[in-house]
Amino acid sequence: MKYFWLGSLFALLGGACSSPPAKLTSAPVRIRWVRDPETLDPLALPNQSAVDASNLLHLSLLQVDYEKNAYAPALAAGWPQLSYQGDSLTLVHYELRSAAAWDDGHPVLASDIDFTLKLMHCPGLPNENSREQYGFIRQVRIDAANPRRFTLVCRSRSAETAAISGDFPVLPEASLDPAHTLRRLPLATLQDWPATRPPDPAVAAVVQRYQRANLARQPSHLPGCGPYRLASWQPNHEVRFERKAHWWADKLPAPPLVLQARPHALVYEILPDDAAAALALRRHDIDVYPQVPARIFKQLQAAPTAKEDFVFYTKQSYDILMVGFNTQRATLRDRRTRLALSRLLDPVGLLAATQLGQGARTVGLLPPGNQFYNDSLPLPTYAPAQAMTLLQQAGWHRGADGHWRQAGSAAPLAVALRYRAEDATFATVGLQFQAAAAQVGIAVTLLPGESTVISSYLQAGDFDMYVRLIKGSPLGLNFATILHSQAIGAGNFTRFGRPDTDRLLEAIATEGNLPRKRRLLRRFQALLQEEMPLLPLFFLPYRLAASRQLQHVVASRLKPGYTAAALAWPATPAPAH
Amino acid sequence: MTGWLVARLGRALGAAWLIASLVFMVSRALPGGPEQQALPEAGDLSRPTASMVSAASQAASQQALRQRLGLNLPLFYVTRGPGPRGQWQWHGAANQYHAWVRSLLHGNWGYSYRNGQPVLALVRPALATTLPLASAAALLAAGLALLLALYLARTPGGWWQQLVWAGLSGLQVMPLFLLALGLLLLLANPDVLNLLPAAGQAPPDSTAGQLAGYWLARAALPLLSLVLAVLPELTLPLAAALRHETQAGYATTARAKGLTAAQVLRRHALPNALLPLLTTFTDLLPTLAAGVVVVEVLFALPGTGRLLAEAAAAHDYPLVVAGVLLTAGARLLALVLADVLYLLLDPRLRPTA
Repeated sequence: MKYFWLGSLFALLGGACSSPPAKLTSAPVRIRWVRDPETLDPLALPNQSAVDASNLLHLSLLQVDYEKNAYAPALAAGWPQLSYQGDSLTLVHYELRSAAAWDDGHPVLASDIDFTLKLMHCPGLPNENSREQYGFIRQVRIDAANPRRFTLVCRSRSAETAAISGDFPVLPEASLDPAHTLRRLPLATLQDWPATRPPDPAVAAVVQRYQRANLARQPSHLPGCGPYRLASWQPNHEVRFERKAHWWADKLPAPPLVLQARPHALVYEILPDDAAAALALRRHDIDVYPQVPARIFKQLQAAPTAKEDFVFYTKQSYDILMVGFNTQRATLRDRRTRLALSRLLDPVGLLAATQLGQGARTVGLLPPGNQFYNDSLPLPTYAPAQAMTLLQQAGWHRGADGHWRQAGSAAPLAVALRYRAEDATFATVGLQFQAAAAQVGIAVTLLPGESTVISSYLQAGDFDMYVRLIKGSPLGLNFATILHSQAIGAGNFTRFGRPDTDRLLEAIATEGNLPRKRRLLRRFQALLQEEMPLLPLFFLPYRLAASRQLQHVVASRLKPGYTAAALAWPATPAPAH
Repeated sequence: MTGWLVARLGRALGAAWLIASLVFMVSRALPGGPEQQALPEAGDLSRPTASMVSAASQAASQQALRQRLGLNLPLFYVTRGPGPRGQWQWHGAANQYHAWVRSLLHGNWGYSYRNGQPVLALVRPALATTLPLASAAALLAAGLALLLALYLARTPGGWWQQLVWAGLSGLQVMPLFLLALGLLLLLANPDVLNLLPAAGQAPPDSTAGQLAGYWLARAALPLLSLVLAVLPELTLPLAAALRHETQAGYATTARAKGLTAAQVLRRHALPNALLPLLTTFTDLLPTLAAGVVVVEVLFALPGTGRLLAEAAAAHDYPLVVAGVLLTAGARLLALVLADVLYLLLDPRLRPTA
């Protein structure tokens, strides 16, 4: 009996170390989600899981091609054409694919685009995000001769207007407004509707119908034009999508990546804990583990059967870890003081300590390798001696007690650093800075806090310095959001901004000529280093671990870091080891 | 007795109401509201915009959101205006608290800010995960505690007894997170023992029997974590109380009459030693109902602990208040239950005694 027990134990251990059974092509692909999507309402999409789900259920005019890290036509037949009207309007001309159709067989038409944009401005719907995002589209002009052709009239001269005008899930007008009652209300009228005035009866009726459909939980109440349908959803546990048997894009002769949907089913397992998710991958409970933290990634790679079972990908993302300064604080108003403090941060050491050395240091807010990257600038480095020289130049004098004071002031130089408590990387940055500053006689107080509280403090300007992650993108280069004087109190936490820098940021946003844009952006990066309102430490890597059996794994630099619909199991399963 | 019970329950309900009202007020006074969570983070460059998000446009979005969620109304019947010398203002029934109370009296616990779903529709399936888990853990822990305490109270203590005592003391100082993670890494790890499932679902074509088997195996690790976490709290005081009782005169008399040590423990010492344990045990119920969050996060279980923790982090007030009502109600009911059990077990405490 004793030997039977021991034998069973070894059998279990042996089974545990064996490779997974070969998957059939019809097997679902299981992916880890860190959190529940909470809502599948296409107007809300509050988190990355909800965005991922929406991309399976709905389609946009343009969708992100995760292989090229750029927008590509999805519902649109081709890249939109641009023309201009007056000084401030951009006309974006689209034509929809003739094959594009809803699940009920009705074609996707320009009137659906118009209707979706109007839904974004109906009061009572969870559309605050999309209202702000797409408020620049003032009118949809539908071609009378071709119901698939239309022009978006945009109140913008941004160079990226075409790209950013088409990334919203399109909804069917026929299901929510069968009598076409919203057509008589122009989009601009809805946008300018006073908040105090009761909504138009047609709007109220559509809103009521939309709310009754309960798309937040039951997206199947509305015909979609995406490749998948929601099969089941157990909140905080598992979401399952099944491939539609007949999807309109299947008829395309050579569908682009954004219109490919290979897995028969996609199952998202919601595993909030990273260690548990790593074990789930090792046990083959999941097939794809995106956004793997550095420590877990290293452990996974070192696992005994890792090389046989998994493929590991590391891509440099567009997310930047940065430290910002409150440029309106009396002690930090002088740029030389900010420069001195920036020299006490160690990007090389921090990259090694928090990201296994993966990721990329940068001179500015653009990643190395970008066509606009200013490679003539030096990378920021840890230089305490230089910091002390800069402090002296800024009028600080080191006293006998080792602290720095300015003439006429008894208060020593001391700063408080705010950051979100939930991210260990921020705490590491804070501790490194505190230790380095202490060595040169500057007291640093670390003030970690809950994320919404920290955001409130930053927007109110109640801080000296902060650590933050800026989620970037190659899809638009509009830095006015974080550095323009008009964005103070909103996204410009540094409270930096002068008329000349504002003009530079506006020019970058609108410039369409590449050589001129390059010059402007190179100047912008130099300006960041001169004025130091913020110090970009490095770009973070995205790490992905996927089953070795999976094919067509597109690891991306953009969130979620992979293309779920492109994945596939091999047609002829490889024999199990 | 009935009158006493009704009065006790009434007091408990009143206390639960007061606690929920307090949480309702305090949660809305906290810095950073639901709009901070629902709207895109300011300064986010991942979704390029054509127009700049200014403080004014951000405020307009926040105002629209607050209006949709009903947060634009005054908080209470009376509020004080801004500033140190702000005037008190009467708002009548047009306030958030009144709307909440009125909905609650109609059986409507409100709607989640995050997805607009009725709070009860979110809490009910979560309770279906947590309650069986917590109840099973409480019953198993109580049963095991009883057996272990009887074993530990025996004299003389042997080598094994010392080991169990030391093990329980070690478990008592171990945080639940560490304990659960240790079990996960030990029993669901391909590098050690891959015995129990810790994530995922049963295969879709499973029979009812296979499904039940899968879920029993799936519940094993969370259950074990919870039982081990509360076991010392129940066992060690009971064992100490039993040892104390065995020194009492009546125990000596029982032994003198020829009863074995085990009989003395079970028949005479245990009924007396159990009384203080009742409070500890009933205290465990609300802790288990809301405090299994660590286990639910680690083992990916969709229970109430996780639901409420996420709601609190997202400032989803209606869910938070419902969770507080639930926990407070469970705690107060547990106290009432403890009182009733005391009265039943100890006649000296009865009102008529």
